[in-house]
Amino acid sequence: MSQLLQIENFTLGFPGRPPLLDSVSLHVNDGEAVALVGESGSGKSLTTRAALGLLPGGSESSGLVSVQGLDTLTASKQRLMELRRRHASMIFQDPRAGINPVRTVGDFLTETLVRLDGLSRAEATERAVAQLEQVGLRRAGGLMDQHPHQLSGGMLQRVMIAAALLNSPDLLLCDEPTTAQDVTTQAGIVKLLREEQQSRGMGMLFITHDLNLAASLCERVYVLRRGEVVEHGPTRTVFLTPEQDYTRQLVEATPVIETGAGSSVAAVPGLDPTPLLKVSGLSKTYQLPRGGTVTALEGADFSLPEGGSLGIVGESGSGKSTLARLVVALETPTSGELTLRDIPRPQRPLRASERKALAKEVQIVFQDPYLSLDPRIPVGNAVADVFRLHQKQGRKEAKESSRSLLGRVGIGPERFDALPRALSGGQRQRVALAKALAARPRLLVLDEATSALDVSVQAQVLELVEELRDQLGLTILFVTHDLAVVSRLCSEVVVMHQGRIVEQGPTARILEDPGDHYTRNLIASRPRPLWDAEPVTA
Amino acid sequence: MTATDHVQAPAPAAPTRKRARDRVRPVLFIAKKVLSLVATLFVASLAVFFSRFLVPGDPARFLLRGRSPKPEALEEITRQFGLDKPAWEQYLNWLGGILHGDWGRSLTYRQDVSDVLLGRLPTTLQLVALAAVFITVLGLFAGIVASLNKGFGDRFILITLTAAGAVPPFVAAIALVALFSVGLGWFPSFGSGDGGWDRIWHLTLPALALGITYIAMVARVTRSSMNEQLLREHVEVATSRGLTRGSVVARHVLRNAMGPILTVSGVLVAGLLVSSAIIERTFGLSGIGQLLVQSIDRLDFGVVQAIVMVVVAAFVLVNTVVDLVQPLIDPRIAAGTESR
Amino acid sequence: MTLAIHLPQAGLRRYGSLLSPMAWGALAVAAVVVLLSLFAPVLAPYDPDYVDLNNVLAGPGGQHLLGTDALGRDLLSRLMHGGRTSLLGPTIVVIGSTVLGLLLGLVAGWSEGWLGKVLGRLFDLLFAFPALLMAMLAIALFGKGLFAPILAMTIAYVPYVARLAQSLVVAERSRPYVQAYRVLGFRTPWVVLGRVLPNLIPTVGAQSTLNFGYVLADLAALSFIGLGVQPPTSDWGAMIEESRGALLGGHILPAFWPALVVVLVVVAVNVIGEELSDRIGGKLS
Repeated sequence: MSQLLQIENFTLGFPGRPPLLDSVSLHVNDGEAVALVGESGSGKSLTTRAALGLLPGGSESSGLVSVQGLDTLTASKQRLMELRRRHASMIFQDPRAGINPVRTVGDFLTETLVRLDGLSRAEATERAVAQLEQVGLRRAGGLMDQHPHQLSGGMLQRVMIAAALLNSPDLLLCDEPTTAQDVTTQAGIVKLLREEQQSRGMGMLFITHDLNLAASLCERVYVLRRGEVVEHGPTRTVFLTPEQDYTRQLVEATPVIETGAGSSVAAVPGLDPTPLLKVSGLSKTYQLPRGGTVTALEGADFSLPEGGSLGIVGESGSGKSTLARLVVALETPTSGELTLRDIPRPQRPLRASERKALAKEVQIVFQDPYLSLDPRIPVGNAVADVFRLHQKQGRKEAKESSRSLLGRVGIGPERFDALPRALSGGQRQRVALAKALAARPRLLVLDEATSALDVSVQAQVLELVEELRDQLGLTILFVTHDLAVVSRLCSEVVVMHQGRIVEQGPTARILEDPGDHYTRNLIASRPRPLWDAEPVTA
Repeated sequence: MTATDHVQAPAPAAPTRKRARDRVRPVLFIAKKVLSLVATLFVASLAVFFSRFLVPGDPARFLLRGRSPKPEALEEITRQFGLDKPAWEQYLNWLGGILHGDWGRSLTYRQDVSDVLLGRLPTTLQLVALAAVFITVLGLFAGIVASLNKGFGDRFILITLTAAGAVPPFVAAIALVALFSVGLGWFPSFGSGDGGWDRIWHLTLPALALGITYIAMVARVTRSSMNEQLLREHVEVATSRGLTRGSVVARHVLRNAMGPILTVSGVLVAGLLVSSAIIERTFGLSGIGQLLVQSIDRLDFGVVQAIVMVVVAAFVLVNTVVDLVQPLIDPRIAAGTESR
Repeated sequence: MTLAIHLPQAGLRRYGSLLSPMAWGALAVAAVVVLLSLFAPVLAPYDPDYVDLNNVLAGPGGQHLLGTDALGRDLLSRLMHGGRTSLLGPTIVVIGSTVLGLLLGLVAGWSEGWLGKVLGRLFDLLFAFPALLMAMLAIALFGKGLFAPILAMTIAYVPYVARLAQSLVVAERSRPYVQAYRVLGFRTPWVVLGRVLPNLIPTVGAQSTLNFGYVLADLAALSFIGLGVQPPTSDWGAMIEESRGALLGGHILPAFWPALVVVLVVVAVNVIGEELSDRIGGKLS
């Protein structure tokens, strides 16, 4: 077995700054699938790009990066282009950004064939169509004339894969190719990649932040942290018996579906309390600017008792975020009833006084930690403002309250005057949480509140939410795409698909014995380690 | 081995519905733009016509400012402009006249305004066209070179552009005359020549003076638009597939950068027409810009109104054409999914 | 992904640093010109309108630092006094259009219904009248001088500010932090004026700074073609016009000084405006 990709003591950085990559060594053999796992900022994308000679401008590098014996750090432009054309291809994270939006899919696929391989347009089209069909796209001929915005994300990623396979590369580099996709779409793409890699005998380097995904696809794994490889070995060994602390933390932080034991909050026995939130027949329809309507949510029915925790699970377009926005009155229902603490929600925008009263009942934390805070307001003041508004506190008292609440969510007093941009993503979500809690709501809506965070940070924030829930007796409505997060935090779950609730009930029951086929599909789509699947491969 | 067994069919209804809409959209899109063009011109004509009513006092005396307000003259102007009729009727008459090519009579030239305008229009159009050539060639060239040569080249061009962009056309005119006419004697400083090469020779300095700020503007827009595209992931993807630098730049950077560059052309044409007033006066060219200044000077309001309308119409027309071309450059615009 | 992360860091680093040397230079030039103009009555060596036919077209140095014009008037004094008229116009126009534009832009951006659409249409319509054209139309209506063009250009520059403010408000409105303010029960006027408006000011300020340069150039051009400031009042544009005769006779200086000052001021303003918008770009990305 020859070494297809060999990286030895590769160091990369900008002059005058600490290196982004520090003595990274890894290799990929012919026909082998290798994962490179790390959190954001670990340098995994840089490492992969270096294999194609794509280094950031102005950077300095040392060491060896060689593909089939060609050192990409020193190779001539000509040799590099040859390498990119014939021997190594790359699949990028977001196909919507990665495929030129103003040109057709066909143009994207055939441009290398026509310009570099000298094929005629007809020959190139024929090959491209065949390749599209091979990656599982039907009506491939019709797709060739379409523009990227006319295709779904999953289809586009298949187009990207088809383009990468056109020249039968020996090495396939994948940079988080499923991160932007839904779980069920991800499952299809992962299966396709595994099949192609196996049948073509390609070497593959698969970058991901998701340990489960790495385990489902690759035999060997490298764990990268802040530009250094901390551990490597067979995937199974690294995951089941990690040697390094960091790897262990990473494995522990990775959410897994916990049934029974994990869901700590059992349903309140005995008395049946009146529900805090009750929703029946709730629908939301949007008018499209060019006529026509879109039904984002249709006939939702559920209730949430005081002190309960309900997970709303669904993929993009399932209507779960619309539901969350309806609950906090950022949207007005088209029809149906929504009752929060016996107060029915009117079917019109709320008046200012109603909104203020509602704020003491329900609060929300959004997904994006970079946009959820006002960039100009120091975090301490942001929280203090809420105390002044809702608890009628004076300036000084509000600052005190703010300080103690921030301390409680893990933001020390030294950060009190910091602007949001000086905080990390996890810290910002903590501040957002504090801001919401300053209004002392009974119900807290978390709209994918941990999805944008690294797994280790996500685990910490989830822990904090659990703690606060138990201490403050909060009722939680957790909106997410991630079944594992729900299984950890919520005793009840609602599964949504294309604007409808397809199934609801106790989390443990639904995860162990899903009744609806979509729910089954959702659970089955979660990546499974190769070693679990092995007996079935026959 | 294929993977057809698990093709995801996201929102099954979406593709077919989308295709049906795609067929209807171009017609609808064009109709909407043309309708908006007509509406804008209509409202603009209202503004231009009724601007006269902002001036307090007797409209006949306003129109006859600077001339002897003899009773017979007042009577004449009242009849000519229909000043005794209601405002809306005056407007309808004016608009109807414009649509039929009757733009009223010039008080100064004692001629139909349309004749005066038509006689002057060619010079201005030639001047603007020559300036547009300079702007397109030099502006695009400087912008592309700057964005592709990071470091010294970019900085040098950027500083030059900052300086050039700060030279108002009239200052450029004076400077060019001082250098090339008075100093070196290469180009004439006055008049528009006899047609053919002589015309171009006479119009070179005026066109350069007219164009210099806009050259800088186009170069800046080109540069920043290309820089924005150069950072896009699809450019990196194209590079990662082994395309040559030239292919990547032409097919993926420049092509995608065209939208914003085209967008400025509406502003550009209107700006050139207006600035030509100053340039034509400086170089003694008898175009509509010179006519505009003279008419303001000689208080010939009918002509002023007509020229303002011409410039506004040119701006709105060019913008409409640009709007209609944009979807060919970026198909997402017609689909309404992306503003740019 | 990783590559995209490193760029904003460069921006952040620059945000923390001081102004670039070029921006310092620009600020210095602007400050000197403004101060000299402001204190012209005290500092100017001569009466700007004093005609000295014995000292026509004198060269620089000696009694007249920058020389004299065709009527023997001291060029430096005329430049300093001219600055008062030449800078006053753009200042009024920029302040007026910024205040008006911000107000209309906020309203247009915040109201989702017909009001936003109508205002958007109004901005579109105003864009069809280039500032210089609007100014000339106003002069045709109200007569020569500074009043008509300043009024007209204030209106003409409103859509530039308003459209920018509108698009910024629309973007801010959908940001989670603004939605969080709504859910937290803060009143709309407090959110819009107290929280959203301050976030727009840097970007709008950068645009208005650039507008200052354009207005200065346009007003000078109007004076140059004899429609703006009327003689004998000194103004940079008018000074260039008065010197054209001398220029064709080979005397460059009387036209050169005012032209140089106009270009310097516009360059300085542009450099400052771009520095501002660069910093904002770096901060937001």
